[in-house]
Amino acid sequence: MNRFTFNGVIGGTIIALLFVVAATGLLWTPFDPMTLSFTARLAPPSGLHLLGTDEFGRDVLSRIMVGARASVWIGVATVCFAVVAGTLIGLLSGYARGWIDSVIMAFNNALLAFPGILLALGLLAVFGANQYGIIFALGIAYTPSMARIVRGAVLSLREKEFIEASKIMGNSEFYTMFRHVLPNCLAPITVLGTSMFGWAILSESALSFLGLGVPPPAPTWGNMLAAGRPFIEQAAWLGFFPGLCIALTLLGINLLGDALRDKLDPRMKGLK
Amino acid sequence: MSDQKQQLLSVRDLSLSVAHSGTSVVKNVSFDVAPGEIVGIVGESGSGKTLATRAIIALIPPGIRHAGGSIFYKGKDVLKAKDGALRQLRGGEIGVVFQEPMTSLNPSMTIGRQLEEGLVLHKKQGPSERRENILRMLTRVGLKDPAGALAAYPHEFSGGMRQRIMLASVMLLKPALLIADEPTTALDAVIQRDVMELMVELTRAEGTAVLLISHDLPMVARYTNRFVVMERGVVVEQGTTGEILTRPAHPYTRKLLSSLPFRGDVRCIDKVKAPMVSARDIIVDFPGRKSLFKKGLAKRALHGVSVDIHVGEVVALVGGSGSGKTTLGRTIAGLVQESSGEILFQGKSRKSDWFDYRMNCQMVFQDPYSSLDPRMTIFALVEEALRLVPDLTATEKKKRALDTLEEVGLGGNFADRYPHQLSGGQRQRVAIARAIARRPKFLIADEPVSALDVTVRAQVLELFSNLQKRYGFSCLFISHDLGVVEQVSDRVIVMQDGRIVEQGDRDTIFDNPKNAYTRKLLSAIPALDLNGSGGVALKWRLDPRDDEIPNNQTRRVEP
Repeated sequence: MNRFTFNGVIGGTIIALLFVVAATGLLWTPFDPMTLSFTARLAPPSGLHLLGTDEFGRDVLSRIMVGARASVWIGVATVCFAVVAGTLIGLLSGYARGWIDSVIMAFNNALLAFPGILLALGLLAVFGANQYGIIFALGIAYTPSMARIVRGAVLSLREKEFIEASKIMGNSEFYTMFRHVLPNCLAPITVLGTSMFGWAILSESALSFLGLGVPPPAPTWGNMLAAGRPFIEQAAWLGFFPGLCIALTLLGINLLGDALRDKLDPRMKGLK
Repeated sequence: MSDQKQQLLSVRDLSLSVAHSGTSVVKNVSFDVAPGEIVGIVGESGSGKTLATRAIIALIPPGIRHAGGSIFYKGKDVLKAKDGALRQLRGGEIGVVFQEPMTSLNPSMTIGRQLEEGLVLHKKQGPSERRENILRMLTRVGLKDPAGALAAYPHEFSGGMRQRIMLASVMLLKPALLIADEPTTALDAVIQRDVMELMVELTRAEGTAVLLISHDLPMVARYTNRFVVMERGVVVEQGTTGEILTRPAHPYTRKLLSSLPFRGDVRCIDKVKAPMVSARDIIVDFPGRKSLFKKGLAKRALHGVSVDIHVGEVVALVGGSGSGKTTLGRTIAGLVQESSGEILFQGKSRKSDWFDYRMNCQMVFQDPYSSLDPRMTIFALVEEALRLVPDLTATEKKKRALDTLEEVGLGGNFADRYPHQLSGGQRQRVAIARAIARRPKFLIADEPVSALDVTVRAQVLELFSNLQKRYGFSCLFISHDLGVVEQVSDRVIVMQDGRIVEQGDRDTIFDNPKNAYTRKLLSAIPALDLNGSGGVALKWRLDPRDDEIPNNQTRRVEP
């Protein structure tokens, strides 16, 4: 087993575990994640509460399990939104060039000029603070960078002779774009897409921290992390475990993304 | 070895290997260079010729290990030299001119500063003396405005000019040995000759020895006293130039010589029938750079060019870079929109049935590395060409694709491979298969063999000729390499600055060129005759500029 497949397996395992945890959280948790218990406030990890309890006596493990669903859903949906929208915009812009490109890129650059989180905040004020609002807002915030990357890849690809060869064969622009240009852009898309997954989870937590995320008491990893901050000296586990989950997920996604990129690229075959 | 003292450079049993696997890439290579002598190293890609010479200035790339042998420069072993001594050697004693003039000059430094760099390091001269020397050298290499060039950046010069500047920067330091690694490969034929002549002239004047590395056997033969033939890291033959050419001893040398393009047979072309493709008064303007307030001046690439290509005829379009030959080809292919003029296909305007034209006009591109989609298998690439062909069922298409691959010599398990798993020659075969899969009536080949090694080029040309005979397609063959043109074409069209300057049957053009530019182009390639023993007789055609040199004599430097 070489290094690439080894990383892929590790990443895949982490992501599979994440989905198992999220799915389990839908059906069963050790405790009810919403039930308050005054007697079990800030209990450290023990046999009963494996990952301890928070300041309201809610079981951290249960909340992480339930929160996994929200975080994963927000991450996946945001990335899908940004990848699909960004790729289409980038393809159109790079392939059409001319004034279409100028107009699209003017908009795109204007959006890029805003810090992503500020843009998301503004959009959330419009859409309302719920998970769909977050997905939409973050998706829009991430689309410009994806569009920019794809456009760059398209611009360099369209000068290649195989694109002209496709034209000579009589293929339509549309066919050429999806058969020859898009597949050759996959490497930057996967790399950026997987890192976006991480940013999305972190941004969701940042938004939750500002009170614009998924509203409490519903748990997400982000708002758990934010809620644990005041207790970092008395009850480090409150922030540590959600943080660990985020970090592990990012690691898994990135390893899997790299492996996927190599797997999808026929040029990597036979290069060990 | 007593003669090491007299030799300037003496390479003895040099071996280099890949560090991690131990595969040897250069095996027991030995050769000598005497002061003032011009020695060639000839070989195809992968022969180790570049690596062996890089070792002389201790610039072996990381990952390659010195596995044995020694290199004596003026009697001292370079491989045992300290870093400081090596730096003295590089530039000061041994100068190097690299292949790619576009990247060997630093784009962010002015020419003046780049030329000064070496002088500051190696010669003790004051600023005014340096300036004087630089100006004198730039004048000698033929720059029109040397004082202006000092403040200019590399991008302001053409490839040929850059190579002259590169040569100037090396020769400024008056090295005892000049290593020229494919110095003119990236340039077109006429400029190639000019730069080579300049190099020989300069080095002869300074008494500098030259180690000339090239895959171009005729060029090496023209300028060297002796040469070394390398194949797969091994020296297979070395000797004086005349001797190797007339009596090659090693089979590989013979193969190289027989791979040189020779004149093809004269064929009978029916010119009574209407031409297959006829371009009339084609004008192409490229729009100038637009800014907010003004439209830039358009650049006229073609000034009303007319070309007829008859049924089954191979018409060669030749000319230097910037002559408009590629633009004309691309216009006929439909990749560039003509500004005015008309292109007829089988007597009718091609616009009347564009689909039919598209089905029957295919193209082979120059660069086999970028003309194939890297994410598609060879089979998928060829089958895609059949996608839009009407009246073929899916199974017929599949069979046709496989048959065509078989025809270009890529049968069997090649179908499932990806382009990166093939060599350059194999990729170009795929490109040809893709172009002929539809059985087009007309093919445009834009420098189809320029990127290939000598022996591979010969094979691909042979394949091309066979396919042309079998399917009888008409062909517009664009090339700057007149040797190749001489082999494949029936008729030749010479272009310069967007105009046709001469056209006629191949033999007429090659044997009796009228136009001065055509003669200049022809002077860059030799006329070849095979002799009985597998060798060749090289004959150089006359250059209009140097009438005093007899036809069959090359300029040689006597040691």
